Amino acid sequence: MKIRPYLYSLLFLLLAILLSIAIGSVFIPPVDLGRILIGWLKGAAFAEPLKTFAFILTGIRLPRTALVLLTGAALGGSGAAYQGLFRNPLADPYLIGVASGAGLGAVLAMSIKWPYSFWGLMAVPAAAFFCALLTVFLVYSLARLGKTVPTTNLILAGVAFGSFATALTTYLMLRSTGELHRAIAWLSGGSSQAGWGPALTILPYLAIGLGTLLLSGHALNLLQFGDDQAQQMGLPVTRARTLILLAASLATAAAVSFSGIIGFIGLIVPHIMRLWFGADYRRLLPLSLIGGAAALLVADLIARSVIAPQELPVGIVTALVGAPFFLWVLRRAKNQGYW
Amino acid sequence: MDSPRGSGQRNLNTLLEENGMFRKFILLLSILMLISACSPVPSSTSTATETEPFNPQMPSATPVPSATSITLTDDLGRAFTLTTPAQRVVSIAPSNTEILFAIGAGAQVVGRDETSDYPAEAQSLPTIGGYSGFNLEAIVALHPDLVLAQGGGLNAPELIASLEGLGLKVYVLRNPSTLEEMYANLETVAQLTGRESETRTLVESLKARVAAVDQKIMPLSYAPTVYYELDATDATKPFTAGPGTFVDLLISRAGGINIGGTLQGQWAQISLEQLVVANPGIIILGDAAYGETPAKVAQRPGWETLAAIQSGQVFAFNDSLVSRPGPRLVDGLEEVAKLLHPNLFK
Repeated sequence: MKIRPYLYSLLFLLLAILLSIAIGSVFIPPVDLGRILIGWLKGAAFAEPLKTFAFILTGIRLPRTALVLLTGAALGGSGAAYQGLFRNPLADPYLIGVASGAGLGAVLAMSIKWPYSFWGLMAVPAAAFFCALLTVFLVYSLARLGKTVPTTNLILAGVAFGSFATALTTYLMLRSTGELHRAIAWLSGGSSQAGWGPALTILPYLAIGLGTLLLSGHALNLLQFGDDQAQQMGLPVTRARTLILLAASLATAAAVSFSGIIGFIGLIVPHIMRLWFGADYRRLLPLSLIGGAAALLVADLIARSVIAPQELPVGIVTALVGAPFFLWVLRRAKNQGYW
Repeated sequence: MDSPRGSGQRNLNTLLEENGMFRKFILLLSILMLISACSPVPSSTSTATETEPFNPQMPSATPVPSATSITLTDDLGRAFTLTTPAQRVVSIAPSNTEILFAIGAGAQVVGRDETSDYPAEAQSLPTIGGYSGFNLEAIVALHPDLVLAQGGGLNAPELIASLEGLGLKVYVLRNPSTLEEMYANLETVAQLTGRESETRTLVESLKARVAAVDQKIMPLSYAPTVYYELDATDATKPFTAGPGTFVDLLISRAGGINIGGTLQGQWAQISLEQLVVANPGIIILGDAAYGETPAKVAQRPGWETLAAIQSGQVFAFNDSLVSRPGPRLVDGLEEVAKLLHPNLFK
């Protein structure tokens, strides 16, 4: 049987999207879902209780599905890119400090009382985004030796900066008065704002970042041979790595600015895709994008419904569900020792 | 062999190899980022345009203030208007739930957050979230005509914006710092729910009770020093109520001196050494709900020198009486006064 990776992945993604829209803390019977769908097609108006259900679908679930989809795609895609870039199976999008920088920016912004306006509400995500990119820039500058950026230096500088930023963040949280709960909720991950605003805000950054990554499949394939070999095969190594790093960090920073720090997706989804469909980055990157989106949609669905009406933070669900699943996939992988 | 270079890869490699082109690409990237940062994005605060305003009780047109309508300014500085008193209120803060029930509007409450445990009638209401975020779907499904929030950091601005983006009306009560401001909040909620006469009676009785406490305290010439414990997970560096908190206010009003009043911050940390030097006459355990008892406190290493422990003046206390800015603050005042001056308050 011919394996059709794109077909299967897209089907799974579609299923995840449909489930994410259909399931939530308010139970909408499938019959009513069908009626709402037919009503939309006909353009008819709804009577209660369909009106409430239709509103919940379009006003709450659809925008949230869109945001979670984009976030998962960003994390999956940049996770695959980081793993290819650093040639390290433990690499995830937060390796060089994006998460710690974003966390510091967000907690700093939370300690200031912004006016209640559009820009005031954008302050925390914007601060997270800006600090994440600033951290990447600082780490990159520190790790650079002349014209090259050795991988080891990047990782070490990233770890050092990450620890520094995390320590500052913890200190700020200890000194906070009212914002502690808000900070912890943000750092655990999960969508904080409802509506289309967040998804539309991060879309341009994701388009640029993930678009660049999708074009970098061949470059990443060459980089797997090592920097010297890749250079000899005609790839301008430093430029390629800078570009890929920048694009992946941009996508990750945009994703975490509204959704907080969600771990495991960027680490595990590329591994699963690699185990199932091979390590060709031209294929792995789009598949990690799709897989990341689907995985985060499923995790978000579980987070919303398992203890309804309360919600678990998504980061906890990804770890609790993702780690055992990954171990199971690992055990069943036919080509062990692929790395 | 299949050529590894598709058109996508060809373009990228050209991009990377040509000096000028690479720099132009980075420039283009930066410009695109700047443009997308400045582009107008539909916000969740510009309500009513993207999603139809969802209010089954009220007409979809903006209500015109009439003679019977209620117009107020909330903690976020916005003018808030209701045409009729709210009949379906969702409370997203425990103090708001207490206020609503205390002024007689309990029947008008349709949903509460999970930390609202008082009064007992409130516990039968459906919960809509609390500790780990609020459930927007559940709030919408209750069809509220008013969501009562609390300012001062308890309810995050993102939550308020999300609720308003869904077409709900949210009123943010100012976080009071004095008892008079708390009375004003009671009157505000009374206006919102149409319970003005009951609230007038309630405020009068609250003021009378506070005046009674003041009267008994006034002639006293001494004030016991009090240590109010908020958290002692680390018994060498416990947390106490600092200046600006209601605990501090009520202890002073009840004729005591809060040793946390000289420290920094509302959630002030005090070291055991400082505590020994301050040597409070009375220890009040605000963390009794988390399992602290006078017996356990007496066993803490290094605490046995404290006068309060030696004389047995350590008391468990119900923290929600002094931490929720509602009418139960007066109950809290009376309880604290009883502990500080047991001979005066029976």
